[in-house]
Amino acid sequence: MSTPARVLAQDRPAALRVLGAIALVGVAATVWLGLFVTPPDQFMGNLVRLLYIHPPMAWVAFLAYGIATLASLLYLWPRTRAEHFDRLAGASAEVGVVFTGLTLVSGSIWGRPTWGAWWVWDPLLTTTALLFVLYLGYLALRRVPGEFHVRARRSAIAALIAFIDVPIVYFSVEWWRSLHQAPTVLNPTTHKTYVHGSMFWTLMLGFVSFTLVYAWLMVHRYRLARLQDLEETEGLEVAIEERRAEGEAG
Amino acid sequence: MSGYVEAGYVVVLGTLGIYGVALAARERAARRRLGTASSIVSTGTSAKADSPAQAGEAPAVEHRAVDGSEPGPVQ
Repeated sequence: MSTPARVLAQDRPAALRVLGAIALVGVAATVWLGLFVTPPDQFMGNLVRLLYIHPPMAWVAFLAYGIATLASLLYLWPRTRAEHFDRLAGASAEVGVVFTGLTLVSGSIWGRPTWGAWWVWDPLLTTTALLFVLYLGYLALRRVPGEFHVRARRSAIAALIAFIDVPIVYFSVEWWRSLHQAPTVLNPTTHKTYVHGSMFWTLMLGFVSFTLVYAWLMVHRYRLARLQDLEETEGLEVAIEERRAEGEAG
Repeated sequence: MSGYVEAGYVVVLGTLGIYGVALAARERAARRRLGTASSIVSTGTSAKADSPAQAGEAPAVEHRAVDGSEPGPVQ
């Protein structure tokens, strides 16, 4: 077994466990504050409680795609090209897809009692659904067989193209007449925050906690990708050993 | 509270929980498989290293003609 493989096979860093524990405590606190401590909203009533998880899902998805794009750029740049940037992009995009899916589902659950429909072809919802499909396509493209660097390069280019939709999603409520409300935390037009008191702090805690959850998931996904790559290499070594043993026996 | 709020929390937390557990399980399985592969590779390597020919423990074998028409090993 090669040295990196041996190290990785035994490696269970304490920092990762601590990160997981902090994320778990943060999410538990967000849920407790969101469901039992914060007051109902003057307009939305109890439905405002979905606010503590829905915008953080969208934020984390954007963050994940931002990191995937940055890693893809670093991979494409000849001076910084390295396999770990490709793995990082793939890991971050996969976690981003999970969070985008949850953004769509939690938004739909909020939209049913608020708008009277599970889904409307609103610009924000439509561009978010497009984002979800684009990154699903990116993940599918990563699975297309090919030589490592060819596959990594085409994946990196696809990640850059898919990211174009991220600012479109964010500014869609400003650019088009939208059923979806405008950003409430830091409105890009008015530069004001429309959430106050314990509701604001609970929402902030939600942002931080789910960002930590993203970090934990992304590190695990990255490590899994690295193990899978090593497994492929080790598998090749095993096959060579077996052939050699067959040859010696024959 | 409306059932929508609870449903939202269950879906979000449940999905993240399942995804996290699945990732950790896949990582553990990959690590185990790597360990197995490693033992196969190292067994193969050590078998080669420990082979009598390499270790100098091969029993002496005299090679001579079957019918004895040729002389044996040069002394």
